Amino acid sequence: MSSSNKRQSVLPKVPSGPKAPVNFGSHVTIADSAILTGSHTINISSESVIHPRARLESTYGRITIGRRCIVHERTHVGAPSSDDKRGDFGVLTEDYVVVEVGSIIESGNTTIGEGCHIGPRVTIGKGAKLGKHCTITAKSIIQPGEVVPDYTVVYSNGLRRTDKRGLEILKAKAQARQIEILRRLISSNPAKFKD
Amino acid sequence: MASFTPYAYIQCPCVDSVPGSRSPDGASTPTSHSSPEDDERDFDPRSPRSNYSLYPIEYMLYCEDCHTVRCERCVTEEVVTLYCPSCLFEVGNSSVKTEGNRCTRSCFQCPICIGPLSVQSLESTPAAPEPSLLSADHATATGPAGPWILCCSYCNWNSSEIGVKFDKPQGIFAQLSKLRSGYDNHHSRYTSSGDGDTYPTKRDADGEPGSTKARFASLKSFYQTQMSNENPNSGLGSTMDYGYGSPGALSRIMSLYSGNTLSSAKPKSKPTIMREADTTKEGLFPAKLDDTSVMSGLRSAGYDGTATRAQVNVQVEEGARFATDLWPIPYVLRTKRTKRCPSCRHILSKPEAKVSNTRWRMRLIAGNYIPSITIKPLIPVGAPGGPTTHLLTPVKPVQYLLTFKNPIFETIKVTLATPAVTPGRFASKVTLLCPQFQIGANSDDYNLDEVLKDRDKDPQRKRSDTTGQQVEAGKEWDSGRNWVSVVVEVVPSSIQIEPKPTILKKLGEVDDLGPLREDEDIVEIPIFVHLEWEASADQVTGKDREDKETKEKKELAYWCALGIGRISPE
Ligand SMILES: [Zn+2]
Ligand SMILES: [Zn+2]
Ligand SMILES: [Zn+2]
Ligand SMILES: [Zn+2]
Repeated sequence: MSSSNKRQSVLPKVPSGPKAPVNFGSHVTIADSAILTGSHTINISSESVIHPRARLESTYGRITIGRRCIVHERTHVGAPSSDDKRGDFGVLTEDYVVVEVGSIIESGNTTIGEGCHIGPRVTIGKGAKLGKHCTITAKSIIQPGEVVPDYTVVYSNGLRRTDKRGLEILKAKAQARQIEILRRLISSNPAKFKD
Repeated sequence: MASFTPYAYIQCPCVDSVPGSRSPDGASTPTSHSSPEDDERDFDPRSPRSNYSLYPIEYMLYCEDCHTVRCERCVTEEVVTLYCPSCLFEVGNSSVKTEGNRCTRSCFQCPICIGPLSVQSLESTPAAPEPSLLSADHATATGPAGPWILCCSYCNWNSSEIGVKFDKPQGIFAQLSKLRSGYDNHHSRYTSSGDGDTYPTKRDADGEPGSTKARFASLKSFYQTQMSNENPNSGLGSTMDYGYGSPGALSRIMSLYSGNTLSSAKPKSKPTIMREADTTKEGLFPAKLDDTSVMSGLRSAGYDGTATRAQVNVQVEEGARFATDLWPIPYVLRTKRTKRCPSCRHILSKPEAKVSNTRWRMRLIAGNYIPSITIKPLIPVGAPGGPTTHLLTPVKPVQYLLTFKNPIFETIKVTLATPAVTPGRFASKVTLLCPQFQIGANSDDYNLDEVLKDRDKDPQRKRSDTTGQQVEAGKEWDSGRNWVSVVVEVVPSSIQIEPKPTILKKLGEVDDLGPLREDEDIVEIPIFVHLEWEASADQVTGKDREDKETKEKKELAYWCALGIGRISPE
């Protein structure tokens, strides 16, 4: 935990591990209390937003966050999986991905396609491949290694359907607007994570 | 799993008022057959019928005039208000009769996931996404324009998937029903992908009886003309009175039974055979026996394109097979109801008529009239000398505390009775150590200091519970201002399924060696509670006004089922 935390957490302190080597794009917004640990590189592309207390862990492989992504609070990107086998990389999220509060994305060649919306408290298993513009609703679980086709909506304990709204452009615009606002609300400190 | 919450359910007296003939097996439910004078009536909480008369005290109402508890099954109900759960708009009785029991404004549920739908503008596709960063365009400043669609924000379904778009964001129900009747008439089902025009225009539905509503109307008018043609003079043709009691039907039945001799004597009474509807104009809807279009639909849409059973069931109209046949579901209206006593018709519960007001004008809940019963083990689990698990060990006696709390302003004399063993295959022994006691009144003129002192004293007592105090037969365990605790001792039976020793068997008794049934391992004690108290006469309404000074004796008795715990399997 960072020293700027005013409120003392009641949870036992998480061993934060070594500081990860980072690589930030332009205009990245990253909160002071975000946690970036691990031995592999963490790439965060331009204009993405990392909320306070989000945890990006590259211990089990490289983490790459695409452009204009939003990673919310208390998420864990690059979480350890049950088996120890490591992939070529940890987690790759393409552009315009939203990872909502409390979600866990396991490490090990896990790919999140462009424009995916990962709802609150979702678990994405190791090596899963989400296509473009998927919506994973709250508390859904994507099994390790699962391939989810483009435009899939996972809802109601794992039911699936295809999103036929065709609102990708509108959604991307709304996300750009949201990022614009978040930049003003979250005090960013990218320098802290670079050495 | 291991934890079990003890419960106390009260049996509503309405169990006796049900005709005994309805019981599937008379033998196991003696309550339904025995005469009311019979004091030896027994109560088996496990009998299938008991399920329908046992309620926690919180669910029960109390009739002050009949001096008895009433459950939600026996009260009579009257609708006070009909309203839409989504927009909370009150719907008049008359409009329910004409429009049906669904919200006719813009409240819809998603046909896929039953989530609420919202009206959204389907903006025409703007130019290519701006490549430069942060230049969020302000196209919305001009205000959203049509066409409009219904969207589900959970599963991302929207009405354009079934080709439904709206011109205005208001009055969706009317627009949708117009679209729907047009759709059913003209939309060629299952082959919609080919013809390109998936945006049904508004066409009037009056021409062909396409929708279910229209078909029903034409069928109804057809059969009404049939009725009046057949019996022009009986005067019942035009009305809906063609039940068995009607004279026309009666004479027809008579002629059927009396045979040919009578009918030949009176050839005029021979009924003419009614014709069935045989054209679409008359409301006939021929079954689609040609499945080729359905099969090609299946081939193109695949499994994902079909509707699930659950989705079809919540549809307003039947017959949906594909996801493209699923229409938004208008919200079903809810009601607020008044509850009345079944025998004296007095109101037991009456809500405020206004939808937004969640208060009650009147609510006579049983908890304000009869003592509540709470159950807990005498020695808590994990305490020194106490049990280590929540499960009951077979054949090892355990003691439970039953605490009765008096809610009324009079002292209540309580008499309890239980059978010596619990009914059912696994008979546990039950002993009530103090079947008779008095609970103090819940008066409001108590001395606060005393109550507080009482409470201070409590923890010490609790401590002595585990160490010293002996359980004495015939004595209350503990008591306070308006509560009394008594001890019940249970010797749980073993739940091994084994044949009974022949010596204990009655003549002709057959062993039931079936596997353990659901919840059969729970020790459930039937307990008969008899209450006696003196009510001052002015509390009694009406009749006894003259002798105000005298106190009237009241009594109330009912069966309870106390769930104590689960027996451990070994
Ligand atoms: Zn009842
Ligand atoms: Zn409504
Ligand atoms: Zn939905
Ligand atoms: Zn009554």
